[in-house]
Amino acid sequence: MARPQSHRDVTDSLPSKFLRTFGNIPFGVSLLALWGVLTLIGVVVEQNQGSDAYFAAYPAPIARAILRMNFDDIYHSVWYLASIGLVLVSMTTATFTKVIPRRLPPYRPVKIDAIPLHVNVNVKGDPASVRDRVEAFFKKHGFEVRRRDFDGTEWSFADRFNWARVGVLVNHLAILIIAAGTIVYWARGFSGETAILTGQAAQMPQTRDIVRLDGFAYRIQPIMTKSGVVYQPIDYVSHVSVTRRDGVPTPMVVRVNHPIDLDGTLLYQASYGFGMRFALTHDGRATPALSDRTLMEGDALDLPGTSRSIVYERFVPTLDRRTGAPSADPRVTDPAVVLTIADAGSPIGSVLVPLRSSLDVGGGWRIVPQRDVIYSGFQYRYDPGVPLVAVGAVLLLVGLVISFYFLPARLHVRVDPAADGSSTVGLAATTVKGYDIFETQFRELVAHLESEVS
Amino acid sequence: MPHAMSLDEVLMILALCSYGVGAVVLVLYFFTREDWLRNFGAALAVAGCVAQFAQLGARYAETNVWPLLNLYGSLSLFTAMSVAIFIGFAFRYRLWFAGGFLLAIAALFLAYGVTWNEGVMPAVPSLQSYWAKIHVPLVVSAYGAFLVSFVFSVLYLVRYYAERRFAATGQGGDVVASWFATMPSLAQLDILVYRAVAIGLPLLTLGVITGAAWAREAWGAYWQWDPKETAALASWILYAAYMHLHTRNAWRGLRSSWWSVLGFVSIIFCYLGVNIWISGLHSYKV
Repeated sequence: MARPQSHRDVTDSLPSKFLRTFGNIPFGVSLLALWGVLTLIGVVVEQNQGSDAYFAAYPAPIARAILRMNFDDIYHSVWYLASIGLVLVSMTTATFTKVIPRRLPPYRPVKIDAIPLHVNVNVKGDPASVRDRVEAFFKKHGFEVRRRDFDGTEWSFADRFNWARVGVLVNHLAILIIAAGTIVYWARGFSGETAILTGQAAQMPQTRDIVRLDGFAYRIQPIMTKSGVVYQPIDYVSHVSVTRRDGVPTPMVVRVNHPIDLDGTLLYQASYGFGMRFALTHDGRATPALSDRTLMEGDALDLPGTSRSIVYERFVPTLDRRTGAPSADPRVTDPAVVLTIADAGSPIGSVLVPLRSSLDVGGGWRIVPQRDVIYSGFQYRYDPGVPLVAVGAVLLLVGLVISFYFLPARLHVRVDPAADGSSTVGLAATTVKGYDIFETQFRELVAHLESEVS
Repeated sequence: MPHAMSLDEVLMILALCSYGVGAVVLVLYFFTREDWLRNFGAALAVAGCVAQFAQLGARYAETNVWPLLNLYGSLSLFTAMSVAIFIGFAFRYRLWFAGGFLLAIAALFLAYGVTWNEGVMPAVPSLQSYWAKIHVPLVVSAYGAFLVSFVFSVLYLVRYYAERRFAATGQGGDVVASWFATMPSLAQLDILVYRAVAIGLPLLTLGVITGAAWAREAWGAYWQWDPKETAALASWILYAAYMHLHTRNAWRGLRSSWWSVLGFVSIIFCYLGVNIWISGLHSYKV
């Protein structure tokens, strides 16, 4: 049966329906939940892998779904960005339709006995003097007291932490500022990474600064643990010369946790590895043109006149001579390389070749890994949005502390004459977070009131 | 020659024993409401907590390596902080009846943490930062507060469903009612959950902020979409949603308690699941 249209359904315009829907807290929470679920999917599904990796890790239908739904790069997917966008729209709408209008609730009389947190206290004295004493009591306890007259009946209103009603507003503002900071990075920032072999230089395309790696050093310490020896990295340090617009090379040191600042662009120590120089011979004759290069891990060397190529897969710092397999020791003591021979682009097989050992790759070709050359991996990043994000982060924290620890509460006080010549103080409390949260404090406050004013 | 125990190990055993015995004593208190059991259990909880902080201090003094850079150390701080926060709640709101459950969980986490003790290892380069002394304690303390909120949520749910069941069957109601009469009301338990979240969420926020500042120094960007970061973001979103839901009368109590339980599941996934099962920039297991 169709639901009959309510008056509001009929009269509401589209903008007011939009405001009502997006300003609705459960709707906003649903969007938060959606954002949370998408975020978790990105945690569980490994990101930015090749399609083969997903088909290897999941049943084919799930792998296909991951790829089609863009869950392999979920944080840049339309779903994710849309969920964040909707959360921001909902938050902004709620801010203007709910948070700001409720910041200063009007003073109005209430039915004291109808409010769950209420009490009636008998105090000796006429209503006027009792009211003065009660107001003085609340002022003494940090309340801001205002008196209002409604149709000849006087009410006192004691407010505490009224200013703290801005807490939610501060939180929402903070998140918008953080969002603005990230947008500033997208619009004007840049980042990149580069690997530089010892003795060589690379240019950062955006800044045109030239970074030359003068040397790289690392320290790895074998530690005896309960499970055996662990080779713990202790330090990575790159000595670089940076040439900026002035053309003068400046020596600098880059360490993990200690990036260097190049006019706002930060250069970070990120990784290291080993390039390799090979000697290649054909029928016993050297081929200097092919041997003059330093290959990085993953680089390939095509053999002229054949369909074959040799891929320098990876560097092995220490070869275990007993087993002929790579050792767990990452220190360079007896190095080797893993080479993959490919024919017409298809791998034929891989082989572990100790340094300075010769490998026959067929057709009269032989290859010798001659010398390793260490390289340092750097990241660089220019992010002009960081100050905004930092301000937003601090505001977010401030907003949370205000929201949680400064509970705005209002006490509605009415003093009426009692039959025995004393007065009855009717007291009711309301807060922005319900009654239960203020119950203990209300009881303590009433106990103090009874002892101090009575 | 037998291995001589270090002060660190002695204090850890002391803490484990205190929590184990304390859990039993306070569970007995939960059922009997005997004052001496409460006092004894409270003393054990305090002793265990003090022993844990002393253990972390002793390990730092003995090794000169910040003790929170592996699961052994961080789980130790996690349990110590959860017990410390609970002790604060227990003294303020007379909640020792819940201590048995919390100490039992703390003891389990601590015992699990001990299995990750591989000895003393120097920090890897990315962990050699003053931020380690700020970020890790904040985040782990947030987890501790969320454990406390989880315990209160479970108590809320137990009480809620028990009351419904006995109200429906009409059997055993007097016994259960008299037993529940010594517990906070459902509304009060709901507020206790909220108060524990009110400790955890700002700490988690500060932890994420300091982590972002550290990441900017170490990895090149304040946010890397690393599994640990994103799992922490998911937990933060869940608890932010909890805050919003708690402003609604209809969502206070049962629904928000379930939400808090869900939040703690996400915290455990973020804390242990990501560390152990998912590789990323935060994969420091030993």
